[in-house]
Amino acid sequence: MLQEESDLSLVIAQIVQKLKGSTLYAQLERQAWGSWEKRILKSLNSMCTELSIPLARKRPVGEQKELLNKWNEMGTDEPDLSLFRPVYAPKDFLEVLINLRNPNYENGDSLSFRTHLGLIQVPLKVKDIPELKEFFVELGLTTGQLGIDDSTQVPPELFENEHVRIGQKVLAEQDSAAAQQYIRQGSPTALRAELWALILNISSQPEDILYYEQLKTNVIQHDLLVDSLIYKDVKLTASNDDYYFVFEDYLYQVLLCFSRDTSVLGHFAYNSASPPKSYIRGKLGLEEYAVFYPPNGVIPFHGFSMYVAPLCFLYHEPSKLYQIFREMYVRFFFRLHSISSHPSGIVSLCLLFETLLQTYLPQLFYHLREIGAQPLRISFKWMVRAFSGYLATDQLLLLWDRILGYNSLEILAVLAAAVFAFRAVNLMEVTSLAAAEAVLADLSTLKVMPLLQIFLFATVT
Amino acid sequence: MAGKVKWVTDIEKSVLINNFEKRGWVQVTENEDWNFYWMSVQTIRNVFSVETGYRLSDDQIVNHFPNHYELTRKDLMVKNIKRYRKELEKEGSPLAEKDENGKYLYLDFVPVTYMLPADYNLFVEEFRKSPSSTWIMKPCGKAQGKGIFLINKLSQIKKWSRDSKTSSFVTQSTKEAYVISLYINNPLLIGGRKFDLRLYVLVSTYRPLRCYMYKLGFCRFCTVKYTPSTSELDNMFVHLTNVAIQKHGEDYNHIHGGKWTVSNLRLYLESTRGKEVTSKLFDEIHWIIVQSLKAVAVNASPSLTSSTANDRILKYNLINDTLNIAVPNGEIPDCKWNKSPPKEVLGNYEILYDEELAQGDGADRELRSRQGQSLGPKGGRSRDSGRTVLTTWK
Repeated sequence: MLQEESDLSLVIAQIVQKLKGSTLYAQLERQAWGSWEKRILKSLNSMCTELSIPLARKRPVGEQKELLNKWNEMGTDEPDLSLFRPVYAPKDFLEVLINLRNPNYENGDSLSFRTHLGLIQVPLKVKDIPELKEFFVELGLTTGQLGIDDSTQVPPELFENEHVRIGQKVLAEQDSAAAQQYIRQGSPTALRAELWALILNISSQPEDILYYEQLKTNVIQHDLLVDSLIYKDVKLTASNDDYYFVFEDYLYQVLLCFSRDTSVLGHFAYNSASPPKSYIRGKLGLEEYAVFYPPNGVIPFHGFSMYVAPLCFLYHEPSKLYQIFREMYVRFFFRLHSISSHPSGIVSLCLLFETLLQTYLPQLFYHLREIGAQPLRISFKWMVRAFSGYLATDQLLLLWDRILGYNSLEILAVLAAAVFAFRAVNLMEVTSLAAAEAVLADLSTLKVMPLLQIFLFATVT
Repeated sequence: MAGKVKWVTDIEKSVLINNFEKRGWVQVTENEDWNFYWMSVQTIRNVFSVETGYRLSDDQIVNHFPNHYELTRKDLMVKNIKRYRKELEKEGSPLAEKDENGKYLYLDFVPVTYMLPADYNLFVEEFRKSPSSTWIMKPCGKAQGKGIFLINKLSQIKKWSRDSKTSSFVTQSTKEAYVISLYINNPLLIGGRKFDLRLYVLVSTYRPLRCYMYKLGFCRFCTVKYTPSTSELDNMFVHLTNVAIQKHGEDYNHIHGGKWTVSNLRLYLESTRGKEVTSKLFDEIHWIIVQSLKAVAVNASPSLTSSTANDRILKYNLINDTLNIAVPNGEIPDCKWNKSPPKEVLGNYEILYDEELAQGDGADRELRSRQGQSLGPKGGRSRDSGRTVLTTWK
């Protein structure tokens, strides 16, 4: 009962949010998204015809048996994937965002926006640092943080021990709201899996496990074109990652099932995008013969598997891992690759990032612009992936703690800006985009919480 | 004492040479007056063999203890640990306490092991007690996974039987000796794969025992999913984690080489199993290392071949930190110098065990509570203090 209520209130909240943006943005979104959607579908369809592979087919029994046997080690399969290409990569998506324009934009609307020199040209409202300080008040200098106050130099009695104790209490009482508040200061590693499940309202009931098994059966019985795309993506990204390569097989088990999960379609109710549709052969345009393709309506792009990979550090039971990922996707991750005016949507995040940089690090911003290294071109991929694959795993998990705690992705934009601030001295010396990329190529040694804290609370504004 | 440290090595590896050169040390030949000699295992054998009677002078350091093979040769390692346990028992040390089944409470860290062909009959007796068990055969003198195989039938090791007339096996030569251990077929798996730990331990003095563990150890994963099924006993890629073996598997990935840092492992275990269990695991690993060192003065030659770019960086930094501890301030060694190095010098090493500290105040409480009473000196050489030793634990 509680689950349904919270879902319903979430949907309503999202609708209200969308309406707040006024019909202006809705129109804009439909237009921009529409042509992007068409492009994606075109790409998918042409891959189909070029390779003479159907979008979907039923597997012969022999093949089904084989796949079932190999279910736990699909990573050892080596089909020829050379002819498959990712449908799109983040940089393609960035180009679309850069070309977004609001046809009804009046020059008088936002004075400050006229002087915006970034790539995003849509005047959405984003927070400034004073507003961010208020929003992220628990990250302030006087509040204890995991990721800062649990380092080896700090005696655990000062913060860590008490924080762990409170976390245990929150879990014992199964208080989801309290957990969300608590996790703003970070989660102890031993409690994180349970806390995230509590916040996301995931409890592994028999029906959930059954549902996962049904999805698995679906995978065994039918082969989808997107499966090859998933396969390729995992091989290209997670399999080559220092931390996540171990979990390659889990990624297939999650993502293949995910693409067949029609319940994911539900999130499109509050997502301004609409799932790509395919029509039964010969019935193009006839709505009653339309099917969503893939069944969950989400076409994976290059790097998609990195949304799942960090979760493998927390959950090793496939159906639980699946549930957690699905919930993370429909609450957060989908916003990172669909066009909307939502404050956690990728467009807003990009604008927030650029505005922070231009307002508080103007010298750096202008310098980079001058040398043809628009900062967003570098930080975009970090934000689209929620920094997965760029940060060390323990740091990434601390960051995602705060995404859950604040129910917002804005922290991604703030972190991106903080990274630029941190490397400002080196960046001021570069003279090309390539050199700037090189300075920012390796984020694996960064400690996110100190960076965020300094940027928000200790920089003179 | 203003002179520069003079070094020699017979191992041409950049991770070593770059470290010597960046300190401004002077390269010399082995016939000249040298201070620091990074020796290959063969050279050590020659230098310290009884026949040559070579003695190091007070300002000379080498990178191995003379009797390094006491721990790296599998048969000697097992013998040493068994002997150590018996000695402790005789002394009435609480460390040697056993439970009601006769199992050591604190020193049970080697699986049931026999020497072949010497203990063949004892082995057969044990094997017959649980005939469905699997055993692992390892040649005593080899490394990198060479010559290792699994058996589950006596017929598979017939040639090691002492009575065997068909044996073409030469029983005299110790080079052909094997150890056979009970195979642990329910290892901890991550992502369904088996892995082992590669930890770097530096022993700077043996008496008093002072050893350091490099914080950046790593795990090596098998490329293939683990299965205890008997049909896969022959599949080395399932059971052996050595990089040398895994490198030839079809799925071997050259970018990451199937490795995780130990801190990754810790994060994963804490996240999935909880903090207490994980801390206990690491405490016990440290305990095993310290006890093994106490059992014997040991030494081995870690692989200095780097398999990936990250690996090269790791090994360069490892040697760098090692030299900072072993040859402090880049000064010419003096074997009388015997103080603990200051904390700043440790780099990525942390103190694993410092006997002097342990016997004083403020020691590592965990080890003290296990130790009870301090262990007296075992016979043998005291010349070893001041020399550095690099050890790996397999």
